[in-house]
Amino acid sequence: MKAVAKIILLGLVIGFPLVGVSPYLLHVATLIFIWAFIATGWSYMGRFGLVSLGHGAFIGIGAYTAGLLFNHFSLSPWAGMIVGGILAGVMALIIGWACFRFGVMGDYFALLTLALGEIVSLVLVAFRDYTGGSLGFTLKRVGSSWFYLQFEDKAYFYYIALSFLLAALFLWRCIDRSRMQKALRAIGEDEIAAATLGVRIVKYKLRVTIMSAFVAAIGGVLYAQYVTYLNPHTLAGVGPSLDIAFKAILGGMYSLWGPTVGTTIIVVLEEYIRVNYGAKYVGISQIAYGVALVLLIIFMPKGIFGTMEEKIRRVLSGRSRSRDPGQKH
Amino acid sequence: MEIVFLNALANGILLGGVLALLAFGLNLIFGVVKVIHMAYGQCVMLGMYVIYTLKVIYGVPLLVASAVSVVIMGVWGTLLHLLVIRPLLGAERLNQLLALAGLIVVFENLAHVIWGADLRGVRVDLPIVSLGNVFLKTSNLLAFGGALVVLGILYGVLHKTYVGLAIRAVAQDRECATLMGINPGRIYLLTLTIGGALTGLIAAFFSPIYSVHPHFGGSFTLMAFIIVVLGGMGNLAGGFIGAFIIGVVTSFAAVITSTEVAEIVALTIFILVVLVRPQGLLGARRAR
Repeated sequence: MKAVAKIILLGLVIGFPLVGVSPYLLHVATLIFIWAFIATGWSYMGRFGLVSLGHGAFIGIGAYTAGLLFNHFSLSPWAGMIVGGILAGVMALIIGWACFRFGVMGDYFALLTLALGEIVSLVLVAFRDYTGGSLGFTLKRVGSSWFYLQFEDKAYFYYIALSFLLAALFLWRCIDRSRMQKALRAIGEDEIAAATLGVRIVKYKLRVTIMSAFVAAIGGVLYAQYVTYLNPHTLAGVGPSLDIAFKAILGGMYSLWGPTVGTTIIVVLEEYIRVNYGAKYVGISQIAYGVALVLLIIFMPKGIFGTMEEKIRRVLSGRSRSRDPGQKH
Repeated sequence: MEIVFLNALANGILLGGVLALLAFGLNLIFGVVKVIHMAYGQCVMLGMYVIYTLKVIYGVPLLVASAVSVVIMGVWGTLLHLLVIRPLLGAERLNQLLALAGLIVVFENLAHVIWGADLRGVRVDLPIVSLGNVFLKTSNLLAFGGALVVLGILYGVLHKTYVGLAIRAVAQDRECATLMGINPGRIYLLTLTIGGALTGLIAAFFSPIYSVHPHFGGSFTLMAFIIVVLGGMGNLAGGFIGAFIIGVVTSFAAVITSTEVAEIVALTIFILVVLVRPQGLLGARRAR
């Protein structure tokens, strides 16, 4: 049953651009895929208690590296993605090593990463001769090209972003099946106990942090290529960093589909209100979103999807047990 | 060049005074309630809008507007405690942090919807005071003096009154304080109210110096964090010293290079302190 539902859903998503939907709907879907990709990457570490409030740093590094290399040296964004991802990974390595070595955890880790995101944003503004400062810069237009990752037709980006999202979800599964997941879960529950049992805390935490940073950087490149405009306030700093964390938390960072569901809800809500009620009310929708978030953290700490999943699972297992008590799962 | 540095030093010290007040509020809340108020600077921003609205739109005198802002922000702090912080007292530390970070979104967009994105300033013409080659704005001097007076009063309240004793007792050991007949719930409420009233007061000191916009609070929240962590979380004396260090350092860095670099320097100090000396300059080393 479940597998069939999954295949139907995947078919619908793949077929979506083929039935002649408006470019606007494709645009919204593409935004959802890109940010869900980043939020999923964020949850790689978030779900093990490494809550980063500075993923804007990695997005910014990735997007600006690829964007500047493309504009000044005409380097393909595919290569720029790798370079930016590696740079973000190195940044994660340095900061992560320092944090884990000195035992920075929990809210201290969150505050430290918050500062990191803001530093990257300020550096981007400070080097205004190269980055355009607060005004940002636009990418050179080259028409449609696979090599330069720019397309006139939105459907291309739709499929590219979708594949990246699926890859990120697949990577989540890989982490789940690896030895790393067991180690990280033990660390997340009780770090000192895990250490005494011989779990190499720093190594495992670093690995997942670097993966998460790499994904965020690639997401940054995708977003920049899609909108062909880079700005330090939308790609780094406190705002975007908090947004990523909130999307994942709203959906539920402990479940595979949580970050995707959270991103979908937020993006759809925002776009719906913006289109139907105008720019003035975007502020109101943001207020509603903030209030919803605070309420959710108070009443549903596992997120919307996480809580739903748990409820459904409980109902399903309860029902099957009451109907045929002999059956085992 | 010497004159420039002397001016930077003087202005850094003046800035430090106001920052000390900001850090005091954050520190008090952290010390007593053990919650990191992520939206503290945003509360100051709302207070500044209250003063702007009263002064510019309704023509209320600045002093009256400031007093009203202290009251309104005090009530705001009380509401915040009852609606957000109290339900979260039993939650995980990280969830408290994230919920209060969610308030940043709420407050900034609230300001955006009500007052728009433009800069709003209260126009006050005050002379510039010169001491030899050092030039100081009267508004900065007033803010500095006012902040020191308020800090003195708060110190007196904390150390010389019964309520102050109760607040310090809850900060030190909640359970023992409860056994001594103190109701920690009421102390929490009082602390958040005082913290809220402080944001209104800081707004009054800031209003003649800065123009306000919806994202005004962000950099001050970060500044306050930097100071609080530098001095040691919950350590009021450490926060006082930290405020002047950060005030002078950012003032110098801004003169030598640019304001962005000054902020980068402050944030880098923050990261280094969290890594190397998380208990802060004055904190005692404790096992974690």
